Amino acid sequence: MVARALTLWLTGITARRVDVEAHVADGVPSFVVVGLADRAVQEARQRVRSGMTSAEFRFPIKRLTVNLAPAQERKEGSGFDLAIALALLAASGQAPRDRVARVAAAAELGLDGGLRPVRGALAMAEAAGRVGADALIVAPGSAAEAALAGTVPVMVARSLRHVVDILADRDEPDPIPDAPPAIAAAVPDLADVRGQPRARRALEIAAAGGHNLLMTGPPGSGKTMLARRLTGILPPPGPDEVLEIMRIHSAAGLLAPGTRLEGRPFRAPHHSASAAALVGGARLRPGEVTLAHRGVLFLDELPEFNRAALEALRMPLEDGEVLVSRVAGSVRLPARCMVVAAMNPCPCGLAGDPDRECTCPPQRLHAYRSRVSGPLLDRLDLRVEAPRADAHAAPGEATSVVAGRVARARRRLADDPPAVGDDAGTLLDRAVEGMLLSGRGADRARRVAATIAALEGAETASADHMAEALSFRGAAA
Amino acid sequence: MSGGAALRIVIAGARTGIEPGGITRRAGGPEKLLAASAERLERLGLPDSFAQELRRARRADVAAFRAELAESGTTCITVADPAYPPALRELHDPPLAVFLRGALAEIPLPAPGGAVAIVGARRPTDAGLRIARRLGAFAAGRGVAVVSGMALGIDAAAHGGALDTAGPTIAVLGCGTDVAYPRRHRGLYERILESGLAISEYPPGTPPAPWRFPARNRLIAALAATLVVVEARARSGALITADHALDLGRDIVAVPGAAGSSAAAGTNGLIKSGAGLVEDESDLAVWLGIDAPERHPPPADGEACAVLDRLSGAPAFPDEVAGAGGSPGRTAALLSRLEVDGWVARDASGRYTLARAWTPTASPPSTATAR
Repeated sequence: MVARALTLWLTGITARRVDVEAHVADGVPSFVVVGLADRAVQEARQRVRSGMTSAEFRFPIKRLTVNLAPAQERKEGSGFDLAIALALLAASGQAPRDRVARVAAAAELGLDGGLRPVRGALAMAEAAGRVGADALIVAPGSAAEAALAGTVPVMVARSLRHVVDILADRDEPDPIPDAPPAIAAAVPDLADVRGQPRARRALEIAAAGGHNLLMTGPPGSGKTMLARRLTGILPPPGPDEVLEIMRIHSAAGLLAPGTRLEGRPFRAPHHSASAAALVGGARLRPGEVTLAHRGVLFLDELPEFNRAALEALRMPLEDGEVLVSRVAGSVRLPARCMVVAAMNPCPCGLAGDPDRECTCPPQRLHAYRSRVSGPLLDRLDLRVEAPRADAHAAPGEATSVVAGRVARARRRLADDPPAVGDDAGTLLDRAVEGMLLSGRGADRARRVAATIAALEGAETASADHMAEALSFRGAAA
Repeated sequence: MSGGAALRIVIAGARTGIEPGGITRRAGGPEKLLAASAERLERLGLPDSFAQELRRARRADVAAFRAELAESGTTCITVADPAYPPALRELHDPPLAVFLRGALAEIPLPAPGGAVAIVGARRPTDAGLRIARRLGAFAAGRGVAVVSGMALGIDAAAHGGALDTAGPTIAVLGCGTDVAYPRRHRGLYERILESGLAISEYPPGTPPAPWRFPARNRLIAALAATLVVVEARARSGALITADHALDLGRDIVAVPGAAGSSAAAGTNGLIKSGAGLVEDESDLAVWLGIDAPERHPPPADGEACAVLDRLSGAPAFPDEVAGAGGSPGRTAALLSRLEVDGWVARDASGRYTLARAWTPTASPPSTATAR
């Protein structure tokens, strides 16, 4: 007897159809899974056997062959469990064969026959409609997420027994629960940051214009605090953006089952991150630049990052997406994020401190600063120094106030972006003639000036706007 | 010919890596050394290899040596040559020959207004770098050649300032003229060769060595009528240059640093023992006997003047200039305009600093200066 079940398989952040064929034949009892299945899929055999028995189904003591088609592509993970069990049940006459073949199933099986959520439920639900499944069966933990896709009906089942009862019309699926927001979404308030008016201003301009930002300052000056508050002053993501963000985080297994995301992501990879960790690669999982999509990628201690890793960030920042090619295949992942980078003025952090002396030898200082030059630096539009913080400075404006200004500026930039006025152009030309900045730097200054004008509600960028924009070109390195 | 003798000894020195200056003096001159018998050479305590090379050098093809040098753009002038820089003759141990490379045709006389040496720390503060660059630019802009050692820090800033104004500058090297040292200054060296001059007493191919730098300092001191020391710690190499300058009777001036600052211990010490004090371009102009820098009309904007007043105390970050309650945007715009107009500049730490002399306005401190 051959039966077929349907499931979905996640590559990158999209899901593809996998047909699970089960063949039950007489012969020496055995259970093999073929179709380039990895270790986790091989282990499905144990979970399926125990799950079926616990759910009081008969596990056929026969020669069982399960094939995952398309058979030539590598598959990994535990999401095939339910479909394998259903195919075996259908092949052994314990579940309705025609319904099993038309309904996609994506869940991991527990030894007690219960269903567990899998990563990427949202992407799978979207794909379920595309590949022609009638419905999608998921564990309760995946339900709210899968329902967001709005493609095919989502059937929530608690256990393998429950699934079969639903398919045989003996029972109803569970209602789809409302997902509470993930706790990690709480963004700290800008009012917590004391002093640093200029760095705050730079953060606001960056948020308004979507500019990448580099902050240079000694340890403890509040660079990280500021960066962590950036997602709060960005406008909240629209419904489509929320879906995009959730799809990515769910596919990466970073979304706690049963919760939803509301804010923009903030990703702060450690400086030891490899190129693959930053842009994605290993097993085609999304990298940090994709996880920060529609949000903020914070690179603290920028010069400490591996040079190759930073180089790899260049294309994603330019194109807003990243193409990852590995043995397992190639995927295109979205990567539209703002980059905020932070660095110390020198390895010891004391350069420029009026009270204490920097002890870095010149060679080391030069090496440190030259590590951040190059292609990535060119993509950091705004560069600002954040000097040692004054602990007694007054608290700044609250996130809500700044966010209001940013939202208005973003609307202006989208509807009617300010042009660069004649005075502003003249000032910029003089700055270029005076060798204060390069041609590329002039382009950056133009963009930043337009953003500053939009923040003020001006129709054209004036010389004053341009002058302020010029001040963000960074110290002479 | 006598020039030939000196050159032959230089060739022998180049082949053995031995500096022939001291030996030549002990032997009583190039001709005597070249003509010396084997016993005499032994009495002079010469290494065998050098004695051997010396014998070969008696027959060496001087013209070929010069042609080889010319190919790399280097010329060689020996003490016997009338073109030998008179400034170097004033040394008690003038180099047997100097190697020149670059575009500058003439080595100026060590008279006021001819050349100025600007030297200092290899690990300077931002303030030191800035003043070195300003002084270099000012002097070279008035046609006074800026002499320095192309070392990291102050030396490079002085050369850089001179090159900024396309003025004359002379780099005195502690290695051959075909070696750019330190390597980081390859670009700077090329620019110096394009419009200035590199001088070395070592033949091409000589690598840099620790003992050659103090030796080349005496050439720096000799070539300029005035020596400006910008930032030197106690026991700095720049103080060796100052000692040489003192021996030669050159003017020595120093840029003062804060009391107790270790970065300026050497320069403050020089001032204590009688060196002139140079704080800005107009001070230097007096020593060089050239016209004081022209006064720029102050900015018409009162706010801009207040910003300059604030910066006349010490370099400051924009937040410090704005003070509590100031608008960061407005302050940044003011600073940028002043920067484009040439009043202020930014240092490596991102602080704004005065780029030309500014006399604080007499008005009481405004909000922008209060802090």
